Amino acid sequence: MSDIKKREFVVGVVFLAVGLGYLYMTSTLPRKQFIDAAFVPYVLAITMCLLGVLQLWDARKLAASKQSGGGDKADYRTVSKTLGLIVAYAAFLEPVGFPIMTIVYLFAQFIVLTPTDKKVNYPVYGAIAIITSVTVYLTFRYAFDMILPVGLLNGLMN
Amino acid sequence: MLSLFQQGFEIVFTVQILGLLFFGTVVGIIFGAIPGLTATMAVALFLPITYSLSTAAGISLLVGLYIGGVSGGLISAILLKIPGTPASVATVFDGGPMMEKGEGAKALGVGIVYSYIGTLLSIFALMFIAPTLAKLALSFGPHEYFAIAIFSLTLIVTLSSGSMVKGIFSGALGFMFATVGIAPVDAITRFTFGQTELNGGFDILTVLIGLFAISEIIKVAENVKTEKHATINAVKLKGFGFSLKEFFEQGWNCIRSTLIGTGIGILPGIGSGTSNIVSYMIAKKRSKHPEKFGTGIIDGIVASEAAACSAVGGAMIPLLTLGIPGDTVTAMLLGGFMIHGIQPGPLLFVSQGPLVYSIFVAMLVSSLMMLVCELFGVRIFVKLLAIPKHILLPIILVLCFVGAFGLGNRIFDVGTIVFFGLVGYGFVKSGIPQTPFIIGLILGPMAETNLRRGLMLSDGNFMGFLTEPISAAFLTLAVASVVLHIYQHHRKSSVLVTA
Repeated sequence: MSDIKKREFVVGVVFLAVGLGYLYMTSTLPRKQFIDAAFVPYVLAITMCLLGVLQLWDARKLAASKQSGGGDKADYRTVSKTLGLIVAYAAFLEPVGFPIMTIVYLFAQFIVLTPTDKKVNYPVYGAIAIITSVTVYLTFRYAFDMILPVGLLNGLMN
Repeated sequence: MLSLFQQGFEIVFTVQILGLLFFGTVVGIIFGAIPGLTATMAVALFLPITYSLSTAAGISLLVGLYIGGVSGGLISAILLKIPGTPASVATVFDGGPMMEKGEGAKALGVGIVYSYIGTLLSIFALMFIAPTLAKLALSFGPHEYFAIAIFSLTLIVTLSSGSMVKGIFSGALGFMFATVGIAPVDAITRFTFGQTELNGGFDILTVLIGLFAISEIIKVAENVKTEKHATINAVKLKGFGFSLKEFFEQGWNCIRSTLIGTGIGILPGIGSGTSNIVSYMIAKKRSKHPEKFGTGIIDGIVASEAAACSAVGGAMIPLLTLGIPGDTVTAMLLGGFMIHGIQPGPLLFVSQGPLVYSIFVAMLVSSLMMLVCELFGVRIFVKLLAIPKHILLPIILVLCFVGAFGLGNRIFDVGTIVFFGLVGYGFVKSGIPQTPFIIGLILGPMAETNLRRGLMLSDGNFMGFLTEPISAAFLTLAVASVVLHIYQHHRKSSVLVTA
């Protein structure tokens, strides 16, 4: 199976799964009459299921010889590291606090994204991370009255 | 009307708003010029700053970012041969060869001047069309709004490039997420899984930031480590870079491109990203020397830039008169209005007349600032193209998080942008268009609410949607656009099979 055909097939399966899942959730909604709060979700869920079937049909019809011109050259290691950092940043933003988490996230993310032909410059990255975190926190705190979570620094900053 | 204009001028001509407009325009140009950053991202980032500003000041800042962001893409399109934004894709076709021939300054001058003219003419169109359309829309009821929402939903699906199945699914998925929360009319809680934060549904801004900013950052991570750095050639711009004779020769090309851009901008969901390519193709087809297109002639740059920038005024027309965004940036602007408790639509012209006219004035001022900044500051913008992406993108992500948190001081919203960032990245990898999703998310509630209201008005009879003339016309157009698209798709497939 070619890469494109495989991808289109997976997309079809996902469409169908989302449609069926939504249909199941809609069936749990209380009904009052034909046109009620569940009417539009039912229409959407059935449409999504049909689109899933159509997508699978289209994927089946794709010529097996159709190759994905040169393949996917994306650097998924960097993508997964970036995703991990973003999720960790969101998860620890409240308990650890914006100032510390931002410094940690930025520093780690700069390192992860540094191009292979460039040297990782730890002092510069550290300085940029600290300056950005402090500037953003103070700007939003005092110029825009937005209190960002301080977490571990709670006693120090309040 | 004149007194409203006067009030608009009085609102805008304050040090604060002029300063914000200038700041917005310059930052917008920078976002437009740096490949990978877009006007949508710029508006997403600066939305939190507008919380503490007055409505006029906040919207002026966003308008500046919008106008600067759409035009700024021409700088990298000409100097680096990489379109800064989708709005300047067609500018590369002739801007790049002109740069290679040593006519970079002329290409830049043409691009800057015609993007200004395109913007300006489309703002005039906005100023004349919007109030009239708003007056007409005042008589619209639930039947008409339902029909317009359905028409807009079908239009975006049929006009989006690529697979129609994926386009429709994207729109349906957006609509699906819009059904989360308390249902219209009977107030039943749907799909919240007991999370009280979801009672009000997903905030449109968190979805937009996630889908367009976070997913873009993840996408850039795919090749940022191995990306080849383009060499930036310096250019010296003297005057406008082209003669008065050349200016007059491009008259009709400019007007036609502006009409195309404004028209495409008015259509829901598509804007400058489409208009520049359509206009370029038409200019080439109508030209006396089509073979010269792509070799480095100013006709191509004029067609692309005038159309791309005129989509700005066009996209504002449905936003201000009907509350329907013309493109992704105006979807963000819709969120900007909502932050200040304002719902765009025909009533806005009645209840907030001075604010509407202050937006018109802000757009006029911002477009002039864009012209001046790009003509005199091109050397500075060129230097900014060298900012490394591995430093810039993480900082942008931090600002996205701050923006999401600021919406309601909830970590829940931060989680939401990460979730929709992943959804957006999934879209990119699967070849699913993102714009129908946004249109579905915004127009879904409008369609559902007005369907329920319309049925209540006509005692549960569907015929009400077909007997009201405007509603019937839009529903007929919706069906016709889908049938036409399926027919064209079928014909294309048949040609491919026989070939």
